[in-house]
Amino acid sequence: MADKPEYWRWTESRWTNPGLDWKGKVITAGVDVGSVSSQAVILADVELYAYANMRTGSDSPDSAMKAMNWAMKDTNLTIPDLAYTVGTGYGRVNVPFSQRAITEIACHARGGNFMYGPTIRTILDMGGQDCKAIHCDERGKVTKFLMNDKCAAGTGRGMEVFADLLGVSINDVGDLSFDIDKEPQPVSSTCVVYAKTEATGLLREGWPKNKVLAAYCSAMAHRIMTLLERIGVEEDFAITGGIAKNKGVVKRLEKEVSIKIIKTSKYDPQIAGALGAALFAKALYDKGKK
Amino acid sequence: MGYFCTYVPEEILYAAGVLTVRILGSHEPQDVTEPHIFAMFCPFCRDCLAQGLKNRYTYLDGLMIAQSCLHIRQAYTSWIKHRPVEFEKFLCMPHKVQSPHAYEYLTDELRIFKKEVEDWTGKKISESDLEKAIDTYNENRRLMKQLYNLRKRDNPPITGEEVMEVVMAMQMTDKEEHNKLLKQLLKNLENYTPDRAVGSRLMILGSEDDDTVFMNMVENCGATFVIDDHCTGSRYFWNEVETGKDQVAQIAARYIDRIPCPTKDWEERKRIPHILNLCKDWNVNGVIIMQQKFCDPHELDYVAIQKALDDTGIPTLFLEFDVTVPIGQFKIRVEAFLEMIGEDDLF
Repeated sequence: MADKPEYWRWTESRWTNPGLDWKGKVITAGVDVGSVSSQAVILADVELYAYANMRTGSDSPDSAMKAMNWAMKDTNLTIPDLAYTVGTGYGRVNVPFSQRAITEIACHARGGNFMYGPTIRTILDMGGQDCKAIHCDERGKVTKFLMNDKCAAGTGRGMEVFADLLGVSINDVGDLSFDIDKEPQPVSSTCVVYAKTEATGLLREGWPKNKVLAAYCSAMAHRIMTLLERIGVEEDFAITGGIAKNKGVVKRLEKEVSIKIIKTSKYDPQIAGALGAALFAKALYDKGKK
Repeated sequence: MGYFCTYVPEEILYAAGVLTVRILGSHEPQDVTEPHIFAMFCPFCRDCLAQGLKNRYTYLDGLMIAQSCLHIRQAYTSWIKHRPVEFEKFLCMPHKVQSPHAYEYLTDELRIFKKEVEDWTGKKISESDLEKAIDTYNENRRLMKQLYNLRKRDNPPITGEEVMEVVMAMQMTDKEEHNKLLKQLLKNLENYTPDRAVGSRLMILGSEDDDTVFMNMVENCGATFVIDDHCTGSRYFWNEVETGKDQVAQIAARYIDRIPCPTKDWEERKRIPHILNLCKDWNVNGVIIMQQKFCDPHELDYVAIQKALDDTGIPTLFLEFDVTVPIGQFKIRVEAFLEMIGEDDLF
């Protein structure tokens, strides 16, 4: 079993700002421990200095630590250099070196504001096990939000299960889902268990893998659409979280919303929560100093 | 006597020397109601029926309900079928309380009910019995309102969770005894200033809600519930019976005119201006709209209530209860809501 390929395994990422020397600057950080992925973001004054994005383990404090250590790798930074750290995400109270916990809803709005600019009014965070539609003002402060129902249907984890079921690397799902003759009907349920059963049936009927992927991506886009319809979409509109990288869902969603989705950030969309947390850390540090 | 709904005219029972006890759930997962009522009936009515089927109310001599919603009526019907009691009553409380005929109709129903109670207990209910019952109940309501008024203070001397305990005790204690305790409580709170941060001032409204675990969670996230509109809360006691010649007619009028349950708040939605007034008088910053899952009457009112609050500039958070509270999933929503309505310390 050890040799079985892990199709679900998405690419972890790490980045350091090459033109920046952190010495002499105020270092603040944000750590987002999600149900599926964990991120650490480090700011030097108000500039993004480094980040890491990796899979969450079974232990939240440990995942927070690992993400932060990876972000700090080769930077000579150590935990005591962090002037203020904010934890967010589902493990937000379990970030051992943080001074405060803030919800990922507030953090994604703030982080999205930084990544995509102050004209962003709607942010859709499509995470590992939930999905949030957020309205915010020009500062990135939440004005309204809506979360999916308690069930995790149609979220990142579901996509991982599908990649595994079909034996397709999760990074390729988006492209392959468009490599089809004709757009199929969406699968009737986004519930991971039911959708798996349905997909197995479709494969047995002779559907090619790509068509099944298209049907699942389409169902996911459709489910997100029902959430967006309840809160409304105001422009500009951006997506954060892992699913933002999945063209198969994003393009289909864009078609349903009929609003252009902003994709111009150079950063990994999965870091938005940790980035927002780091920006809050900076604001809280500055206030504490006064 | 166990009762299922706050439209039951307890005064008549109390006058006959009957102690009334509100039927509530236990918030434990259960597997006994499935053969009897649908799984998509509200969790509260399933939880209540489970208590009966699990023999947790064997001390009851009677059980009754006043017509309100079909889900809870089914719970009642199933209960008396499987756990028969000595005295059972389905009181035909009119749905259209806004009809001018409602007063007369309910008065007649209550006269029949009074006679049935007399026949059951073998005790004639005299005018002075009724008067005493009405006085005791009215005093209880007045004292409870005094307690609620204390929550208008900038630093309320009592939390929403604590009030929920009091208001629940009110529905299963002899009112005379409860009055004594309430007076003592009011005296204790008169000059009491708790040492806790008030945070955002919240209202909670919606269907039946006796979930102290949820109240506690929210009040530990930097908020205080200062007012509610629940049938287990303010709707239960808000209105008094007015004095008049015909006591039974006065009791009927009280139940017709009371702050309505959404099953009866039709065609005009009279609850909405009431809710807006509560928000104003108790200086509310945000409202949590909390309903039992699958509760159609509340779902139908939700949109209108949410809009009315939105138009007044009061933010709302909508949540759905099940038998057990998914505390983690609620917490993220509540914290994000409080961050949204709270001060701008992050910007």
